[in-house]
Amino acid sequence: MRLELLWHIVSVEARRRMTYRADFWIGSVAGIVVKFAVAAFIVGAIFRESGAGRIGGFTYQEMLLYYVTVVLMGLFVQTSEREQSVSQEIYEGGLTRHLLYPVSYGTMKYAQQIAAAVPALIQATLLTVWVPWAVGIPEGLTWGSAARGLAALAAANMLHFLLTYPVQLVAFWADNVWSLLVMHRFASALLGGMLVPLALFPEGARRVLELLPFRYLYAFPVEAFLGRVPPRDWAAGMVLSAAWCGVFTLIGRAVWRRGMLEYTGVGI
Amino acid sequence: MIRYLRLYGYFLRFSFSRAMEFRLDFFFRIVMDAVWYVVQFSFFWVLYRHTALLGGWTFDQVMVFMGGVFVVDALHMTVFSNNMWWFPIYVNKGDLDYHLVRPVSPLFVMSVRDFAANSFVNLLMAVAVLTWTLARYPAPLGAGPVAVYVVSLLVGTFLYYVLHMLFLIPAFWMHTSHGLREIYFVLGETMTRPVGIFTGWVRSVLVSILPFGVIVSFPAKSLFEGASPGPLLHMAAVTAAAFLAMVGMWRWGLRSYVSASS
Repeated sequence: MRLELLWHIVSVEARRRMTYRADFWIGSVAGIVVKFAVAAFIVGAIFRESGAGRIGGFTYQEMLLYYVTVVLMGLFVQTSEREQSVSQEIYEGGLTRHLLYPVSYGTMKYAQQIAAAVPALIQATLLTVWVPWAVGIPEGLTWGSAARGLAALAAANMLHFLLTYPVQLVAFWADNVWSLLVMHRFASALLGGMLVPLALFPEGARRVLELLPFRYLYAFPVEAFLGRVPPRDWAAGMVLSAAWCGVFTLIGRAVWRRGMLEYTGVGI
Repeated sequence: MIRYLRLYGYFLRFSFSRAMEFRLDFFFRIVMDAVWYVVQFSFFWVLYRHTALLGGWTFDQVMVFMGGVFVVDALHMTVFSNNMWWFPIYVNKGDLDYHLVRPVSPLFVMSVRDFAANSFVNLLMAVAVLTWTLARYPAPLGAGPVAVYVVSLLVGTFLYYVLHMLFLIPAFWMHTSHGLREIYFVLGETMTRPVGIFTGWVRSVLVSILPFGVIVSFPAKSLFEGASPGPLLHMAAVTAAAFLAMVGMWRWGLRSYVSASS
């Protein structure tokens, strides 16, 4: 796929997403603020009621920084999570027109997901401005850790797409895959470190979670960004993340091939 | 009243026959809620490994509280949620007209017409989870307080529905309530956490102006803290106030309804 064409898809999609501005800002900004506020109150309650100075290797301020970063970085990972455009197009027969385009369907959908990161970038930039005053600056944050965190975030965005793509393709067989996507969201929030830092899990569970793909969606980019992952471990994590991307690419392709045999192209 | 009950009976019949058309979805939804229950319990289990109390409650108390959250959520999903989804679309497309000319309250029809039969099994599952959390509670709770807890959870469900409507009715003026709906769902998260974790003005807001912190926390508080009727009286007052506000806004909204698609 030509880079020019990819950029065109991203540009058109980004403009489409900014169409309903008031609605977009009301929902998303309030969502981010409330999510962080709930997390902050939970953190406050745990530290207050346990009387501990450190929990799972985090001080109170470090854990707040973890949550604010995971909420903001999560915007780039889950960009188009709730839209289910793939399953919708299969269900309604809209996929047919894509089959005629000279672009691979999966690549086109991924380009749309990248476009969805544009509004997220604006939100995150505006919301990040108050972080140093409200929560402070992470001690471990350096230019190097920021670069490693952002690279891990780009991988997380792709991994998220590749993880949900085969789930959406289940629409070739099922009438409604919304519940499957919600299940994925619940599971990845807990197992990926969005709900609670993985350092708070018991040792045995943590070792298993480090091998699963979910960690590379949220916890890994955040920890790398905050300077909590040494460069060597970061490199190992990126390899594992890339391996999971490979696995889910293969699964996506296999499901797509099987699904195309079922597809009638008329909608249901 | 009998006319409304008979009408609701028809709604139930249509909803069950429609749900049977999507059997796989029926199954997926059951698994989805089971995953949500496991995730929520695991979340608190992980937190309680580092503290004995959270919001003033022990792990066993939070389990009972979460059982209540699941029941309220499942009831809302079963009775109201589908209707809430369609309401702004009806307003936006002008389809509300059909309901305004019928000889029954449009607010009643808009709120309960679509009974989510596919969520009904989840409701049974949520009741089973609540029963289990009550049964494993280490101290005797007593039949009376448990009955009061269950009844106040029903009131909490009604309050949850009223709040949902209050966030959707602005569709009469805004033509889309997508943003407000997002806020409602995010604020709904505060219902799933013990109100005791919140402090200061945020807590005051969550038990008065945006009473998400009342829905399950107050019934649970009343169950654990015994005879004091304070939390339940507060809950009743907040629910009545929210209901009056909803009816007032609904009437005001209907006067602004232009019956045109946009």
